[in-house]
Amino acid sequence: MSKQRRLSPRGAAGRALVGVVALGALATGCSSGASSTSTTAAGGSAAPAASSAGAASTGSGGAPGAVHIKVWAWYPEFKSVVDAFNASHKDIQVDWTNVGTGPDQYAKLKTAFKAGSGAPDVAMVEFQELPSFEILGKLTDMGKYGANDDKSLYADWAWTQATDGDKVYAIPVDGGPMALMYRKDLFDKYQIPVPKTWDEYAADAAKIHAADSKAYIASFGKDGGWINGLMWQAGCKPYTYSFNTAKDTVGVNLTAPACKKVFDYYGDLEKKGLFGKDPFFTADMNAALDSGKYWTWASAGWTPGYLAGSLKKTAGKWAVAPMPQWTAGGTANSDWGGSTFTVTTQTKHPKEATIVARELFGKSQAAWDIGVNKAFLYPLVKQVADSPAFTDKAYDFFGGQKVNQIYVPASNGIGDFQYSPFQDFVFSTLNDNSAAALAGKKDWSSVLDDTQKTISDYAKQQGFKVTQ
Amino acid sequence: MSSTLRAPVEAAPPARPAAPAQARRRPSHQRRQSLAGVLFVLPFLVVVVVFLALPLGFALWLSLHTSSLALGDHFSGLDNYRQAFTDPVFLAGVRRVVLFGVVQIPVMLGIALAGALALDAISTRMATVYRFIAFMPYAVPAVIGALMWGFLYSKTFGPFAGVGKLLGGGPLDFFGGSLLLASLGNIVTWAWTGYNMIVLYAALQGVPREMYEAAVLDGASHVQIALRVKVPAIRQALSLAVIFTVIGTMQFFTEPSIMARFAPDIDAGYTPNLYAYAQAFRFSAFNYSAAISFTLGLVVFVISYAFVFVNRRRAARTP
Repeated sequence: MSKQRRLSPRGAAGRALVGVVALGALATGCSSGASSTSTTAAGGSAAPAASSAGAASTGSGGAPGAVHIKVWAWYPEFKSVVDAFNASHKDIQVDWTNVGTGPDQYAKLKTAFKAGSGAPDVAMVEFQELPSFEILGKLTDMGKYGANDDKSLYADWAWTQATDGDKVYAIPVDGGPMALMYRKDLFDKYQIPVPKTWDEYAADAAKIHAADSKAYIASFGKDGGWINGLMWQAGCKPYTYSFNTAKDTVGVNLTAPACKKVFDYYGDLEKKGLFGKDPFFTADMNAALDSGKYWTWASAGWTPGYLAGSLKKTAGKWAVAPMPQWTAGGTANSDWGGSTFTVTTQTKHPKEATIVARELFGKSQAAWDIGVNKAFLYPLVKQVADSPAFTDKAYDFFGGQKVNQIYVPASNGIGDFQYSPFQDFVFSTLNDNSAAALAGKKDWSSVLDDTQKTISDYAKQQGFKVTQ
Repeated sequence: MSSTLRAPVEAAPPARPAAPAQARRRPSHQRRQSLAGVLFVLPFLVVVVVFLALPLGFALWLSLHTSSLALGDHFSGLDNYRQAFTDPVFLAGVRRVVLFGVVQIPVMLGIALAGALALDAISTRMATVYRFIAFMPYAVPAVIGALMWGFLYSKTFGPFAGVGKLLGGGPLDFFGGSLLLASLGNIVTWAWTGYNMIVLYAALQGVPREMYEAAVLDGASHVQIALRVKVPAIRQALSLAVIFTVIGTMQFFTEPSIMARFAPDIDAGYTPNLYAYAQAFRFSAFNYSAAISFTLGLVVFVISYAFVFVNRRRAARTP
């Protein structure tokens, strides 16, 4: 199954665990939720039986009779955050389990919803998956328990995605504002200007490949979340959906000019042989970034944290610049990844579960100290993101650059964006069609046409009214 | 729907040889005996019903309904099956595992048989060591094995990447289009050859040695003994190995799901079992997933049964 789904550093960390082990670097700590398999007698193995990985820190503290809230999450360094919460709350104790990263956890969550029991009280869910869980009708509206009070605490775009009108389905935690990582030393050495527009970026691609025939400006990594981030930044907003107002109507418009120009752009670069094709979050990709094969990566606020452990040779030689723009002087931004806390409808303590979702990260500077310095999360709590401690933090990996002065404005400039209630299927289809284009089996210009058709058919089959 | 290894159940010999005088038993005695039989079988029956029949029934019920995201549940009869049989992704996956099996199964069992015959021929202490070594890959969990091979195949770190350079090209891409299936086949062969070798070797141990002595007296060479005496003698074990391998191959899951990390070409529908998994646990289409699983089970059943049937016919023809 293509584990395309990206996102938060931890998704990456989960996948990267593999790469990390091989490189002998330190994993950013997250179990990859390996499944135990029931093997058949010979050849291959049958589908996995879930096994939960990770430690549950059972709250032994708290007052007698404290309410215990089960939390599923896969943040790195999360145990310290949970411990801090348990130490500061007498009547509520968090029992945390890491049941796997991203797709692995969602599979367990959907199974528990289907079964009617077994879901945790609070579950970590990435932004792009929220509508998919809303439509199952299994997320508690935290607005009933006072969560609307937190609206002003969070980056606007994040709050909008986590809510539907005054219904609060999720509390934002971390995000992935996109910016351009680039090899400052090589750009300087070959006197190549840092691209401010995508036109300049394409020109640089040719210069880089001319300077070193083994080098490319970037890899096209067949990652749904990443491709989505590039399209979003180009002004493409393909999906419209509101669970609250029209749960059986979905808008899918992947063939708008703003969307298609991204694929035309990469199709053009590919005809000229100007980018590589290493899949992201693999040991090979990280090695390629570390060996000078790739000079840039349009990536997210969490990416440096993910890479810092694996890029030993080039640490200190990278820098961050704002995303190249489609129109000169523009300030278009987008998000790749990030996650939230949701409260499931299987909880017996919605009030306390809401408090946990709101306060694990949202009300705790201590939690964010861990989140920023150890887990490399990009904070969506405005107060944390705007604090001098965050914006003035110098990163050795970037030669001492204060990169958050790029990421914070990027996050503040992100507009509204909606995901479909079957985003995993969309990303999967988009990935398969992109892979076909990368392999030369499909024309780049038809990737979005084909995806649009597949998605529309699927949506109709699922009983949705499909609008453009 | 994973199959498990079951020891072939042999008919137990009658407890006492029935003497002619006892030919007419009293019915009550017979009833008591059959009651005892039922009681002995009961625990097994309970387990089968609770853990196999009921879940299968539920899955069948699921497959006959459609639960769409927007509209909820309704009975849809064979719609899901109709969709499965016309779903290009599912059919491509079935074709892929069949192609995979047609190449990989003979290769693997051929090596396993050759190895078992060789082991059987050497009766030194080395045989024990060889047996152990051959069996080792099977002891490595499939997930770890797939991860390990992921690195062996790596363009950057892998020892084989240089082969392409020797041939005058770039590094070989083991995760790319045409080599991908072969790479997966190699992993499976690596993991399961030793296992099958041990199974066949164990069967060889059960062949009475007198047969070989007779063959030697008749002037047969070692090769002739191996091919004409030993192989027919373990026909049963061989066909069992084939059937289990076919079932395992049709349910191909673990290796491609791990390799998907390295190989972008492995998509949600690369094998039918991956497709069923993705439909249920990624796209929330539990009903369609159940239909795909049943369809896959049907395909496995047909293939296995066809093999058994052909095998019996051939066995009957051989004098």
